[in-house]
Parts: sequence; C-alpha cells; structure tokens
Amino acid sequence: MGSSVKSGSPITTHVLNTGDGVPAARMALSLHRLDPSMAIWNLITTENTNEDGRCPGLITSDGFVPGMYKIRFETGQYWESLGKSSFYPYVEIVFTISDADQSCHVPLLVSRYSYSTYRGS
Amino acid sequence: MNRLEHIRGHIVSADKNMNIAAILPSPLTTHVLNIDHGVPGANMTISLHHLNPISSEWNLLTTRITNDDGRCPGLISKESFIAGVYKMHFETGKYWDALGETCFYPYVEVVFTITDPLQKYHVPLLLSRFSYSTYRGS
Repeated sequence: MGSSVKSGSPITTHVLNTGDGVPAARMALSLHRLDPSMAIWNLITTENTNEDGRCPGLITSDGFVPGMYKIRFETGQYWESLGKSSFYPYVEIVFTISDADQSCHVPLLVSRYSYSTYRGS
Repeated sequence: MNRLEHIRGHIVSADKNMNIAAILPSPLTTHVLNIDHGVPGANMTISLHHLNPISSEWNLLTTRITNDDGRCPGLISKESFIAGVYKMHFETGKYWDALGETCFYPYVEVVFTITDPLQKYHVPLLLSRFSYSTYRGS
C-alpha cells in the first residue's frame, strides 16, 4: 500500500442508497478540479465505489490545493444496473476548498427520486 | 371573479409587464428553502436549461430570481415543456454572499430527466451553508 493511500485522501466520499438502505457499491464517480484561468474542469481521477460505497485514495495530499472541485456520481448507470429508473441521470456536487490543510468529506445519500449531501470532515 | 382573475389581480398590480403565459401554472416548479435560517430562499438567481440530445449542449431556457417565497412562478410554458434532460442551476454562492456568509457550494446544479411532460414536476432545493437536498415532488 503506497504512502498516499496510507495517509488517506484529503477528499473522501461515501455513497448511500437510501432507497434500499445499503451502501451504493460499484458506482462510478469522478473527481475534477476547475482550472480557473481556462474555465475548464480537469479530471483528477475516475473510480468505482467499493462494497462499502467508499472510494479510498481519491486524491493525494500533494494534489490537494485550494480551488473549486466537482464530484460527478454516475447515479443513473447505478440504478440501471439494479434494473431501476431514476429521476437523475447523474449527480454533480461542486464545492470550494479554501483551506487545503483540512480534509473534506462529501457524501451522497441517494434514492431514485431524491438526494442530499453535506460537508463532513 | 374567478380564482385566476383574483390571482392575476395580485400579480399584475406588482408588475404590469407580466403576461398571461407567465402566470399560468408551469408544469415544472421549484422552491428554494434556506434551512439554516428557516426561511424561503428569496432573491436567488436560478436558470433552467435543456440538453440538446444531438449536440449534447445545454440550451438556456430562462433565468429568473426567486420571489419572497423562494419560488419562480411561470418557469416554463406547457408548450415548451418537452421530454428530455433538464438542468436547474441555483446561484447558491451569490445567495449566501448577499447575506454576508460563505457557502461550501458555489452553485448547485440539479440534472433530471423528464419522461412524461404531461405530469407536473417539482424540483425543490433545501439549502444550508454546508448541505443541500432535493427530491422529485409534484
């Protein structure tokens, strides 16, 4: 296990399927950072959530700088793989990191017809 | 006086430029609630976009500001409301900025799929400085 994973990603997420009351396993998601000068989103990483609905190692401490970030959750594909439809084809959560010394937890609680998120630590 | 005329009387007295189409019930509605303060999210800029399925580009349909009740009456007309993918963009950062506070979310975008435009859809936003939620209502 590399040192970047041992020290833990400063951005973490946890996806919960509140419709079924289980972690949302094997949901594809991607983390992006906004390049303010070009006004484009740069892809940092693409991952699938594990059995617990988490993605360890999203970003390294070195890569974690202040700025605007976005996590895109492929919720539509996730519900489709369960044989269900959903109101949301995907969910994007855009957030601002002003202090890169703090870690930041961006969970997603999702059902077929609702979702919520909050800033955790 | 029927109910529509009664309602129109309230609205026209406030803005004589508002046309009839704007006050007929929109098949798509929203409601912004500031759950930090327990008040409607008034004076928030929001915009509605429709995804062009061929070009995969977002077409801006309308830009509005929520009223004192956190709502935007007449968001879209029945004629314009077709099946497809829509996006509602909420200027949450600017909203909290106007209240002298910071917010974790510079903006919120809710992307949703309309399969049956004959139904009514309600896409509310319950917002605090460090959390938000949305659901499909009617």
